[in-house]
Amino acid sequence: MAVVTTTPSTSPGAAAAAPEPERRAGSPARPVRLLIGAVGMVVTAWLVCNIFLAFAYYPQWFAGSGILIGLLGLIVGIGGSVVFFYFLNLCIEGFPSRFSEGLIPYAFLLPGFSLIAILLLYPTVQTIVYSFANKDSTAWVGLENYQAIFGDAGFWSALLNNLLWILIVPILTVAFGLAVAVLADKLSATGERIAKSFIFLPMSISFVGAATIWGLIYAYNTPGSPQTGLLNAIVVALGGEPHAWYQIDTARLNSLLLMVILIWLQTGFAMVLLSSAIKGVPEDTIEAGRMDGASEGRIFWQIVFPQVRPTMLAVFITVLILVLKVFDIIYVTTNGRDSTDVIANLFFRKLFVEQQAGQASAVVVVLLILVLPILVYQVRSFRQQEANR
Amino acid sequence: MIRRPGRRTVLAGAAATAAAGLSGCLQNPDPNNGGGGGGAQKYTEGDTPGTGTVTILGAFGGQEQSAFEESLADFQSEHDITIQYTPDQDFTTTIQQRVGAGDAPDIALFPQPGGMFDLAAQGHITPIDVYLDYDALAGTLIPGFLDSARLQGRVYGAPMRMACKSLIWYPKKAYEAAGYPNDPATMQELYAIADQIKGSGIAPWSDAWGADQATGWVGTDWIEEFMLRVHGPEIYDDWIYHRMPFNAPEVVEVFGLVGELLKGEGNVLGGTATILNTPFSEAPLPLFAEPPQAMYVRQGNFVTGFLPADILENLDEEVGVFAMPTWEGGFEGQPILGGGDLAALFTLNDDTVEVMKFLTSPEFGGPWAQAGGWLSPHKTFDASQYADETTRRVFDIAANAQVFRYDGSDVMPNAVGGGSFWTGMVEWLQGAKDAQTVCDEIEAGWPS
Repeated sequence: MAVVTTTPSTSPGAAAAAPEPERRAGSPARPVRLLIGAVGMVVTAWLVCNIFLAFAYYPQWFAGSGILIGLLGLIVGIGGSVVFFYFLNLCIEGFPSRFSEGLIPYAFLLPGFSLIAILLLYPTVQTIVYSFANKDSTAWVGLENYQAIFGDAGFWSALLNNLLWILIVPILTVAFGLAVAVLADKLSATGERIAKSFIFLPMSISFVGAATIWGLIYAYNTPGSPQTGLLNAIVVALGGEPHAWYQIDTARLNSLLLMVILIWLQTGFAMVLLSSAIKGVPEDTIEAGRMDGASEGRIFWQIVFPQVRPTMLAVFITVLILVLKVFDIIYVTTNGRDSTDVIANLFFRKLFVEQQAGQASAVVVVLLILVLPILVYQVRSFRQQEANR
Repeated sequence: MIRRPGRRTVLAGAAATAAAGLSGCLQNPDPNNGGGGGGAQKYTEGDTPGTGTVTILGAFGGQEQSAFEESLADFQSEHDITIQYTPDQDFTTTIQQRVGAGDAPDIALFPQPGGMFDLAAQGHITPIDVYLDYDALAGTLIPGFLDSARLQGRVYGAPMRMACKSLIWYPKKAYEAAGYPNDPATMQELYAIADQIKGSGIAPWSDAWGADQATGWVGTDWIEEFMLRVHGPEIYDDWIYHRMPFNAPEVVEVFGLVGELLKGEGNVLGGTATILNTPFSEAPLPLFAEPPQAMYVRQGNFVTGFLPADILENLDEEVGVFAMPTWEGGFEGQPILGGGDLAALFTLNDDTVEVMKFLTSPEFGGPWAQAGGWLSPHKTFDASQYADETTRRVFDIAANAQVFRYDGSDVMPNAVGGGSFWTGMVEWLQGAKDAQTVCDEIEAGWPS
């Protein structure tokens, strides 16, 4: 954004010109500046908001032209924020300089922080609040929603599935990603490029698209008729009977088959990051290992692996958080039938099909509580990495 | 590394306080007071002049949209009214949002009555008796349509299109070559023919329920068809409007009857696994295999859209259809299960009333009937306008029905009709749960 274009944050020059006997370090408060800044901020915000409302309410003022409105929107939006920050700066400078120097960074963080507050913190708190209210959030019901979901076998089944997804998908994704990255590294430059492109390709497919593609692999046709599903075609060619894969919940086979889809999608992501990490391993450390006569396996496990571990962890946690939110794949394939339900799908069904806002909120609050430790861990390990630099 | 927990704590505290301050209250239980519609008792032309433009929101796009617009072209030039039709895939949600935000279209075409009732109850929709000739409409419409748009004594929408579900399709050439009769008077007679077909070595029925996240809706149609035939329209209405519990013995009995048909050994091609794992659009395909693998598919009139191209070209020679017959010992008249788009009025003025009059009249829809895939809900519609004999046959079946009833799962609350009823059907067909358990669970989940 245009934040950087503001005037220098403090202007001791003007203040220093006047004879100031008391203190060298700072300037006193300048109420006029403060006032102009504050009023300017309010007026700018008011004006910008109303211009945007006018776009919506009175398109005829702008000749009903979408292009004109879009252009004006850009100008008013960007220009407005520049002007807003100018007045903000002015206002802060009005404070005594001791004060304003400390305030400036926070003032500039404010817009970003308020966006987070409005879009993240407010809905979070609201959800927690609504989890204690009834189905259309009009009356308090205490812990009834939590009792309802904890007493529901479907909830525990979904929780178990989420646990399986968490345990299996991130580890396999990282393992496959690492394997591909290491093996591709041994190829010629062209070979590596082609191999990596192909493995990265699924990343650009949406979850719903991927579920449709894999639907062709898991498809089931009546025994005796030609099998259009790849998996069943193979099974039948080998002399077996076709199976309705999505319906087999013995040992959660159907959930495992759904996990394959996500692993297929995410391996490319893991590969790209891990591959660059492997390339970043200093050649001299490997060279040193070779000099000492270490085998390729030993070089990998004892020299390369420790150096790419932080990246692996980052990939692992990113995929883990993705898996916690997994929804689309389940929704379009089984919609949670045959014990494949997961928390996110359960939430969607509670809210949009059963219209039980209270129970739906309770379900996501449970999800939130489950995600928190992982988030805390990630933030902490990130900070540690930063500190180690 | 210097840690300054003090500042961070203060910030987090401030954030939490701000968020709590913004959110720590409940929503207004009745946010939509007032708004359009409601008030007037009888509208006479000239009360409110129109603006010359009428906006319509509906769920269908693509070919259907162009056929719809074509059907309105002459009307627009005659009356000097511009109609702006907006299709929306997610109509059910969009209409609620737009009306809630005070941005209702002039007219909305509801594919299901449920969403219309919600808005009518909030007073946003003008009942049709205010501006349409109710008696004339009731005289030409297939009986039952207006009843399904009635809320607390007043009718809020009039049908603009009909879907007919109680149809049994068969591969005409193979079926007639084998000499099976195509006019069974009762389901029991149909079962006797089905047994003959079974004797010839193929399954009589093909059925498919697969519809991604909506899998199971075909099953709800089976239950509704049998409820209507075995117990008659009155008990059917009691059931869909929840005047009797979902797990009443009548319903459980019907699950049993449908189960005998669908789960019976050799009755349906491939058994329950095929039913659940085949997309509903592929159900008719085995009928037209060489040689046919099955003879009957029960599905609505829209199923012709999924037929292979070479069959579709010679629809009248290749495909036969008859009404799903009555149940011996059940309701005597021929009932038809179906659906329709209900036109409902949000803005009352001369132009919108004019458009509503035309949309809900038997004169509407000629070009759409030509284009195919559309049925008029009026008995008096000029059937010669339909593109083929099969459509005319379907229209005859619907027009001659003694009773028309709306698809029950469309009328039930979404939690049931678009949720537990669907999943319950799947669990029941798989044999994971018996009929009583499934019905008990659906009843328990019925929104209070």
